[in-house]
Order: sequence, then structure tokens, then C-alpha cells
Amino acid sequence: MEIQPKDFADRDALLAHVRALSPSLSPEDVQVSDTVGGRQVGEKQLAKIDPIAYGHSRNYLGGKVSYLSPYIRHGILSLNEVRNLALKAVPQGEAIKPIEKFIQELAWRDFWQRVYQQNPDWIWHDVEDYKTGFAPDDYSDTLPDDIQTAQTDCAAINYFITTLQTTGYLHNHARMYLAAYIVHWRRVKWQAGARFFLAHLLDGDPASNNLSFQWVASTFSNKPYFFNLENLQKFAHPQAPCEEGDNQALAGSYDQLAARLFPYGVSS
Amino acid sequence: MSDLIWLHEEALRASHPLFSASSAPTQSVFIWDDAYMAAMGYGLKRRVFLYETLLELPVDIYAGDTIETLKALAETSQASRLLTATTPNPQLNDIMGALPLEVTRVAEDAFVEMPNPEGLRRFFKYWNKAKKFAFQPNGTR
Ligand SMILES: Cc1cc2nc3c(=O)[nH]c(=O)nc-3n(C[C@H](O)[C@H](O)[C@H](O)COP(=O)(O)OP(=O)(O)OC[C@H]3O[C@@H](n4cnc5c(N)ncnc54)[C@H](O)[C@@H]3O)c2cc1C
Repeated sequence: MEIQPKDFADRDALLAHVRALSPSLSPEDVQVSDTVGGRQVGEKQLAKIDPIAYGHSRNYLGGKVSYLSPYIRHGILSLNEVRNLALKAVPQGEAIKPIEKFIQELAWRDFWQRVYQQNPDWIWHDVEDYKTGFAPDDYSDTLPDDIQTAQTDCAAINYFITTLQTTGYLHNHARMYLAAYIVHWRRVKWQAGARFFLAHLLDGDPASNNLSFQWVASTFSNKPYFFNLENLQKFAHPQAPCEEGDNQALAGSYDQLAARLFPYGVSS
Repeated sequence: MSDLIWLHEEALRASHPLFSASSAPTQSVFIWDDAYMAAMGYGLKRRVFLYETLLELPVDIYAGDTIETLKALAETSQASRLLTATTPNPQLNDIMGALPLEVTRVAEDAFVEMPNPEGLRRFFKYWNKAKKFAFQPNGTR
């Protein structure tokens, strides 16, 4: 048995080797992320975290989020060491309130991993019924072409799809918007959306991804998650194109959208 | 007793407790298993990220079916035990279960040093317990 090389002249050479070792990859799968793997880059990213600014800006696409997820996902950084460093952002003995949100988000990962450990079969199966007034069979099994090619009639959604496909990363809020669009606007099964995310996210994780999708869908939460254009404009501007004319399907009050998306009423 | 250390995709750092758990390691390996990665849905982006990560790690990379490769490596190195990292991933756990070797699973450093509450479902039920540990270094109370 042959030991595989670790020395490459450049990234292209490494890429060619990865491809040679990966006959199952489709020839159309050619995109590589600018995010580089490895502990060295992970540590550099870790040194940049700002857990205090995170607390008040994390919901904005331009907010001070950590970008640590692919490193945490593969154990390159442990949740423990990230938390230990975050604790140093407040002097010892002072209230931890300013960093509470950051540590709570780390805990979300721990929580999903523990749920996964207890119930591995929840990853691909509805944990609960949909609370959307629809039955599972009312949702399509496959992702429509216009979503895969970023050609939907909503410019912001197309921006999120393209970002996902080129960078392998999406901000948490963008994941929520795109997942809700797929499941509720287009009535596609959450599993199809989850598979699409897992194929592109560098941090794609069966538990964090699929259980979050079920949370959006309402098969693992008390109600479906959806949003409106006003919310998108607040959090995703200026990164995403948020003009109403380019995103008409997302416009309206929450009541109007609920009536459109869930005409049979939301159950709990 | 000599140990073969199998590093899988969820434990890719040299400071993982796995590496200090053996007093007699023979070899540390990562298996590049195309069929496993396809089953996990990994595209080119992820695979490049993983290979780049492996470049810095003290492991030999082999390509092939995970079970067959680990069996062959254990035989060549005459390892009597396989050490690997604990994971919730059923595919990896199935592989561990299918190996004709003693397998010892080494846990990741805990985020919160508390047992898994029964019947986990909603985050805040977990968080009400976990927050007592989460703000302490090493998650200990
Ligand atoms: C539909 C959907 C799919 C998702 N899929 C994944 C996935 O496949 N992998 C993944 O790691 N996260 C996933 N998340 C959670 C979250 O969006 C990402 O962890 C986060 O956006 C990663 O960016 P960051 O590292 O800058 O996070 P930060 O906000 O800086 O958070 C720090 C770390 O905490 C953890 N974290 C934060 N929020 C969450 C959360 N809600 N759930 C779990 N862990 C969290 C991550 O490890 C993250 O790196 C998903 C969320 C949604 C709504």
C-alpha cells in the first residue's frame, strides 16, 4: 500500500491529486474555496475572534462572526479551546454577559452533536410532523433547477446560492433565509435542501445542518421559520441585493406572507 | 500491546487526546475513502479543505476502502488494537464495529463536562443545565 504525498508544488498540484483520488466526483464539480484547510490557518482565524462585538452584530451579514465553522466541524479546533479563548475577552471576575451570546452559539454545536449521538436516525427523517398545514408528500423530493443554478426570481436568494457554491460558507442568517426559501416558498422537502448545503459547505455537518433544516421546516420546532423582505433588508444589506423589485416574492407583512405560504394555517 | 491510530475526519488535529492515549503506537493513519466521502456528499471544495488539513498532521495518508485498508495496515504493523476518536457519526461507528480488532474510542475534550441529558429535544432544556459549565475554563463546574 502506498502512502499518499504531502508535498505539492502549489495548490493546483494538490487539487489535481485530490481529483485523482476522488473518482466519484462529478466532472462538473470544479469549484474550490479560497478558505484553506489546516490548523495553521485555523489558529490565525481563531486569533481574530471578537466575542464582544459578536454579541451585538452577529445577526448582520457583515457582523463580527468568527468564520471558524469548518475548523470546528473537523476537529481542527476544539469547541473547548475556542470557548477558553473567548473567556479571556472579559477580565477575570467581571460579568460574562458581553460574551454570553458567542459561547451560547458554540453550545448550539455541542447540543446538535449530543442530539445526533442519541438519535442518529433523526438526521434524515422528520423528527416531528410539519406544522405548516402541509403533509410531507406535499413537498417536492428534488431541488428545482433554478435553485441549483441560482436563477430564481429573487436576487438575494441567487446571491446566497452563488456565495454558498463559490465559497463553501454562508452566514447563519443567510442559511436561514435560503433554507426557508427552499422549504416554504418552493415547498421542497428539507432533505433536498440539506443535501444541497452539505455538498457545498466546508463546515457541512449532518447534525448542525440537517437538524437546523428541520428547525426551519418545523419538523424539529414548534413553528416554521420564515422571514420577509424588510427583515432581509435590515440584516443582509448591503452584501445581498435587497431591492424590492428584484425580490418580490419575499415582500409583504408577516401576516400576508403566512397567508400565502401556509394557506391552511400553521399548527403547533 | 501495540496500537494503530486511525484519525478520521472529525478529529483532525495533532493535539486531539487520541494521540496521547497510546503508550505503544505503531503508526497513525488517515484513510482517504472516496466511497465514504461520496456517501457523505462531499464535493471538491470539502475534499481540498480536508487534504490541506492532512498536510500538517502526523499521519500517513492511504487511499482505499476504510475497513480493508485498516485491516491490512493492522496486519502489517502487527497492531493488536485500533485507537480512534469517538464520534456520533453512524457510518464511522459502523466501520469501527466491522473491524476484526479491538477498538478503543478516545473522546474529544468536552465543551461542558456533563453527562448527556436523557431525551434531548429542545435547546433551552439542554442550555439550562449546560450554562452552569459553559462559562468555566474547560467546561468544568
Ligand atoms: C439551515 C442551516 C444549516 C446549517 N448548517 C451548518 C453546518 O452544516 N455546519 C455548521 O457548523 N453549522 C451549520 N449551521 C449553523 C451556523 O449557521 C454555522 O455554524 C455558522 O453560521 C458558521 O459560521 P461562523 O463560524 O462564522 O459562526 P459563529 O457565529 O462565529 O459561531 C462560532 C461557532 O459556533 C458554532 N455555531 C454557531 N451557531 C451555530 C448553530 N446555530 N448551530 C450549530 N453550531 C453553531 C459553529 O461551530 C461556529 O463556527 C447551520 C444553520 C442553518 C440555519
